[in-house]
This record gives sequence, C-alpha cells and structure tokens, in this order.
Amino acid sequence: MLELQGVSKFFPGVRALDGVSLEFRAGEIHGLIGENGAGKSTAIKMMTGIHQPDEGRILFDGAPVTLASYRESLAMGIGIVHQELHVFPDASVAENIMIDKLITRRFGGVDWPVVRREAKKHMDRVGLDVEPDRLVRGLSAAQKQLIQIAKALSAEVKVLLLDEPASSLTEHEARRLFALLRELRKEGAALILVSHKLEEIFALCDRVSVLRDGRFVGTRETSRLTTLKLVEMMIDRECNDDHLGVLSPDWNTEVLRAERIVRQGKARGVSFSLHQGEILGFYGLVGSGRTELARILIGEDAMDSGRIVIRGVDARIRNVGESLYRHRMGYVTENRKEEGLMLDDGVQTNLTLPVWPRIRHWLTRRIDPGAEAAAATRWVESMRIKTPRLSQRVGNLSGGNQQKVSIGKWLAADCDILIVDEPTVGVDVGAKQQIHQLIWDLAARGGRSVILISSDLPELVRMVNRLLVFRQQRIVGEVRDIDTERKSYADVSREIAPHFE
Amino acid sequence: MNLTATETAAPPHEGFGRRDWVSGRTLGLILFAGALMVAMSLASPSFLTSETLFSQSRYVAFYVLVAMAQAVCLAVGDLNLTVGAVGSIATVCLGMLIAPGQAGLPAWAAVPIVMLIGPLTGLLHGFVITRLKIDAFIVTLSMMFVYMGMRSGVSGGNSYIVPESFWWLGQGGVGGLLPYMVLIVAVVIWGVSYLYRNTVLGRRLLATGSNADAARLSGINTKRMIICAHVLSGCFSVLAAIMWASWSGNAAPQTGDDWLIISFAVAIIGGTGLKGSLISPIGIVMGAIIFKLIQHCLVILRINDNFSNTLLGALILLAIVVDRARERFERKSG
Repeated sequence: MLELQGVSKFFPGVRALDGVSLEFRAGEIHGLIGENGAGKSTAIKMMTGIHQPDEGRILFDGAPVTLASYRESLAMGIGIVHQELHVFPDASVAENIMIDKLITRRFGGVDWPVVRREAKKHMDRVGLDVEPDRLVRGLSAAQKQLIQIAKALSAEVKVLLLDEPASSLTEHEARRLFALLRELRKEGAALILVSHKLEEIFALCDRVSVLRDGRFVGTRETSRLTTLKLVEMMIDRECNDDHLGVLSPDWNTEVLRAERIVRQGKARGVSFSLHQGEILGFYGLVGSGRTELARILIGEDAMDSGRIVIRGVDARIRNVGESLYRHRMGYVTENRKEEGLMLDDGVQTNLTLPVWPRIRHWLTRRIDPGAEAAAATRWVESMRIKTPRLSQRVGNLSGGNQQKVSIGKWLAADCDILIVDEPTVGVDVGAKQQIHQLIWDLAARGGRSVILISSDLPELVRMVNRLLVFRQQRIVGEVRDIDTERKSYADVSREIAPHFE
Repeated sequence: MNLTATETAAPPHEGFGRRDWVSGRTLGLILFAGALMVAMSLASPSFLTSETLFSQSRYVAFYVLVAMAQAVCLAVGDLNLTVGAVGSIATVCLGMLIAPGQAGLPAWAAVPIVMLIGPLTGLLHGFVITRLKIDAFIVTLSMMFVYMGMRSGVSGGNSYIVPESFWWLGQGGVGGLLPYMVLIVAVVIWGVSYLYRNTVLGRRLLATGSNADAARLSGINTKRMIICAHVLSGCFSVLAAIMWASWSGNAAPQTGDDWLIISFAVAIIGGTGLKGSLISPIGIVMGAIIFKLIQHCLVILRINDNFSNTLLGALILLAIVVDRARERFERKSG
C-alpha cells in the first residue's frame, strides 16, 4: 500500500535517514520502532508530506508519489494521529472532528445538523460516547485521542500513522484503543504504530520494522520474534553494552540532597542524594517527573514544599542565576535549540555567557576581550568542538557540537554539579560516543557530580553507577552498583521492570 | 576542522560585538547616505552650507535619540509604542515647571525633575510586562493612550513657553559650528556602544533578546533585563523631549505625535534586529542621516509633505525585506 524505497534525508550536520526502505500493507498493523534519534519521526514526516526525501522515493499503491504537504498526503489517504493531543479545546467535539470539512448550505452557512450527524457517525466508529455538541475542554485524554482518530478516519484514510497513541492513556483506555485498532485492521486499513514500548508492539502488531541511527535494520513478523531479539535489533551491541568504566565516587561527601520536594503536578515528595564524583541516572518516561525535578532544583520552578541542601548548606534557590553563581550547579536542557543556545550568536558568546561577570574590570565594567576569547578557546579545544572560528553561528554547527557548546557553557562557569537532560537526543552516533565520554570524564577525572536524565536506558547503563526510576512524579525504584557489578542492559531492565507494572 | 592555536590567537572582538559594528550592512548605509548627499548637493547649491549643516545635524541627533529609545527595547525583543507619548508627557511637565506663567522654575531645577519621568515610566512598563506577564505590545499600546490623554487633559492643548534662558541647549553650539545637541548625542552613542559591546549588562540585554528562554536558563535575570531596557528607553525619550522643547522654544503637547514612526524607521533602517539581540549605534546614526536626507529630498522635489508618512512606511518595509534577503543569503553561505 505505502512504500519507502531507499529514502534518505539530510539536515545540516546530521544524516537523519540513510537509505531506508519500508513497506506497509493493507490490513496490517505495522510497528515502527527505534530509540530516540533513530529516525522514526523523520520517517513519519516524510510519509505525511512535512519533509521531502533527499534521495529515494515514496510509492503509494505501487505508483511513485510526491507528497509536498500534509494536505496532499491526506488527500492521498494518509492520515496521522499525533502523540500530543492536537485538539481545539473551545470547540465542540463535532467541530473538532469535522473542522476541515464543514458542510455548508447555500450562502455559505454551516449546516450544523448534517455536520453533527456526520460527526456522530465517526464517533460511533471509534466508540466515542459523548454528546457531539459538548466542548472538548474537560474531556479525558483518551477521549481527545479518540477525537483525533475519528478526525483522521473521517478523511477516509487508507493509511493511518499513530505516533505513540497510548502515551497519555491509562492502561484501561489503551486496551480499548487497541481493540479499536484491531477493528480498523479488519476493515482493510494499513495502520502504522510508532512506539518505543515493546509490550505494545507485541500485543498489537503483525510485523515490526526497526530503525537505528537513521538506518533500516530490518522488518520481522512479530510472531517469530522475542523481546530480546527485538532489543538486540534496536540497540547497537558494540557501542552500547560495555560500561565506560568504574566510577569511584566519594560516598561520604554528599554534594546535593533533596528532601521531600513537592510541587503540584510536577513532584510528589521526591528525595534523593548526589555524591561527589557520582553519575546518578534519572530514568523514566517523558512527564514522569525527571525534568520537572531538575527545573525545581535549579530554581526555574518554585517548589511548594521540601528542602534542598547543597554541600551541607540549606539552599534557597529562586532562579537559575542563584543556582549558577551561588551553588555552582548547572542544568543542560533537553531542548538545546529552544532553551539551551542562542542559535544566531557565536560559539564564543554561547560558551562565555555565564563567565562575563568574572572577567570584567572592577571600575570600567569592561569585559576583558582577551580573557573571553581565552575561555572560549579553552573549552572549544578541550571539548573538541568542531567549529571553523569562535564567532561561528551556533545554529550552523552540527547537533553534537551544539550539545557540546550547551554543556561547555556550564563547565566554563565552573559548575561542579551538573544536571544533564537527554544529552544525546538528535546527535549522530559518533558525537554520541564523544558526549558520553565527556560527561563520564567530568565525574571520573574532574571529580564533578552529574545527574544524567535520560529515557535511553542503554545510555544510562553505560555511564552511571546508580539509577533512580521515576514514575508519575515520584521516585519508585533504584538500581545500585551498575558499574561496579558490571550489570548489563538486560540485568537493569529486569530490575526496573516491576516498577512499571 | 579543529581550531588551532594560530587561528584563535587573533580575534579580539567576537561575541555580540562581532555583528554590525562597522559591518557590511553599515558600510552599505554609509555609501547610500554618501550618494544621497552628493546628489543633494548637486541638486541644491544651498545644501552644503554651514547653516544647513548646523540645523540638519541637530535633526539627525534628535532622530538618533528617538530611534535609540525604540532600539533598546527591540534589542531585548520587546517593542515600545510609548516612545512619543512619554516624550509628550515630559514636554508638558517641562512646560508646567519652566514656563513663566506656571511654576517658573529655573532650568537647572526643572530638567532633573523631568528627567525622572523616563526611568519612572520605564519601571512601570517593565513591571507590568514582567510581573503581570502581559505582552509589551499591549502594555505600551494602552499606556500610550493613557499618556496621550493625560497630556491633553493637563495642558488643554495649549503650548507652554520655554524661556529664552533655556534655548541654548537646542539652539547653541560650540563656536557656532558644533551644536550642543550633537555633542550630547555623540556621548550617548558612545555610551550605548560601550554598554552593548563591553559590559555584562549590555551583553545580557542582547542575550535576552536573542533567546529569552536560553538566557534565563543560563542564569540571566531576564525580567530585570526587560525592565532595564524600558528604563533606558524612557530616558532617551525624555532627553529627546527636553532638547526638542529647548530647540523649538516652546513646549507643545503635540510633541511626540510623529515620533513613533520615526523611531521605528530610523532604528530599522539602522539595522536594529526586529527579533532582538542586534543593535548598532553607528547604523542608527546612518539611519538617521538617511532619514533626514530623504525628507530633504522631498522638499527639493516639491513633494507634498503630507505624503511623507507613506514614504516612511514603505521605507521601513523595504529595509526589512532587504535584511531578510541578506539574512537568508548569509545563512546559506554560512
């Protein structure tokens, strides 16, 4: 039905997809799986007309097609249901479903009775049992998800892409959604399920295709596949399974302690401690409270109650400036383009920003240009940031080098507590290795203390000695001695699996 | 390619100062201004006399101040629609304090009081924008009307007389050649250059304009930066108002009504980034010169003065279109 043949996509500095061939059939649920940055989202964007392939071609019903926009792909019969809930909260359910095809009477007025009837038809199909006139605001996440599916179906799609459709649903809701998807399969649609939850893939899919680092690994029938085999396809054995080494933290020196931190909807009584020279992993899914906790720690978000103790002293941190200049604690954000860097400015500016107050003249307030260039040069060289010159626009660097600048800023500012959030999302394999090594060295050789937030479990297993498991804004489990006992990815997954039931 | 030692040894000013001090863009402006000037002096023999230069340079100085008031806000990513309205309030206050029939204070007492209006209004705008989290556009739009209503109500639409003893500021000059206004504005330009290029505050203002989220997550108090920009902006507006009153010899409440378009036109032609983080004092000076020359052109060509706003609007748009094209080109080449 829908086929990608040898499709590649390049972004500046990154090869997002590299000669990927995928084939989706009518009447099947096809899983598309891979780690963060494997190229799933690029592939989806390619199929829905948001990106166009730089190489290769897309076939629909055996004929080559060009999809220049989402409108065109929808007209062709390819629809998508996004992970995020894209609904209009202040419109009715019927309006949300029929938004792009409101039936009009003469003189251009909307024929509401017909629209309502049509909407009801699609709602019945997905089993959405509410009044069509009801406002979407106030419906549950599952109901909003059903609205999106109904909307896609109302366009009479032959291919339906579902991007992590169950991520915001409860288990009961997810089961009902899956039943619906099986129903749709019977009707002859090609369903593509993008997910990184293996259970979902096995429960639902007929076949599964695996992407890794922008490359196509293979397509298998799920009935002939084991979880272990699938994991092996997803992760690169050679570069993911071995530990970077054994860390030797000073367990007697507690540099950061959080006590029962509470913030409405973000943290529900979280306590932990971080030691000198330790890399502590925060593992959990998006929204489980890892990033939320980090933002509270650095003072970006206030806490309702709780206590933060840094190097034995009670710390009241009201903003990032205080965290940085008083407590030498830095946070490398997960959204480096939006929140980490000033993309239009130079490498030097981005690196030395927090250093400025330290290198100015006491009377003239002039920032010493020599000291500034020296600071920038030092970190460009020691982190091996590839840039033609210090004034190079950071937006023109590759993802990996951008991430190095984003981390380097805090090192230049002399931070010895570093919170690093998803440091290798969207960087290519080589840079990923370098960034892992860099962070590991900070703790192992530099004696700094690092909190590593990641949803990439192999990454955590490689680098940390201790791991905290986050779920629903709480810490629900801990895995110790990962490096000293050389625990493998499989060992660690086994240990944390019970926490997700 | 890795950076080698030889490559990094040389550059003294990278960072924010790198763009647009006397960059290609400013150079283009200088050439354009030069060409206009040559054309003008050929067309009208009276153009290059010392009298014309004396009066025209004061206009340029005045436009620079008005544009600066806009540019410092644009540089943190806000805009300020009260540039003229604050000037207007300051003019009325100055009139009330200094006019013979009114309080009749001497200039040395009245001017410092009036100068306070700049920081006060700036603080007010900044606090409303950052604490109540209301968009700068909305805040300054409403405050513009608040001020305009106040000045009309208080003054009743009548001008105040500025006593002759205070005319020296706007009308005098060193040796009858270099107007005091030009001198003062030159100091302002130097100060602004120094601020944005060399000081932590200036750099942080630019960082806030470049990417407020990244700036905040890098430990910059972006709220304070926004307040600071509005305070600076208010100071420039008030300074411009005081000079204008001294120059024209009366404190007319209508002062400031045409400043808004001037502030945008000169700032934008002068290369101030619309989305923040870019401010070029030299560019603004060039923008002001070009602006004045174009007005002069209109006079020489005997075009109805009432059309000048049409031209200004078109000019702003043109400057932005040209900049967009340049930006795209530069990004591609890298």
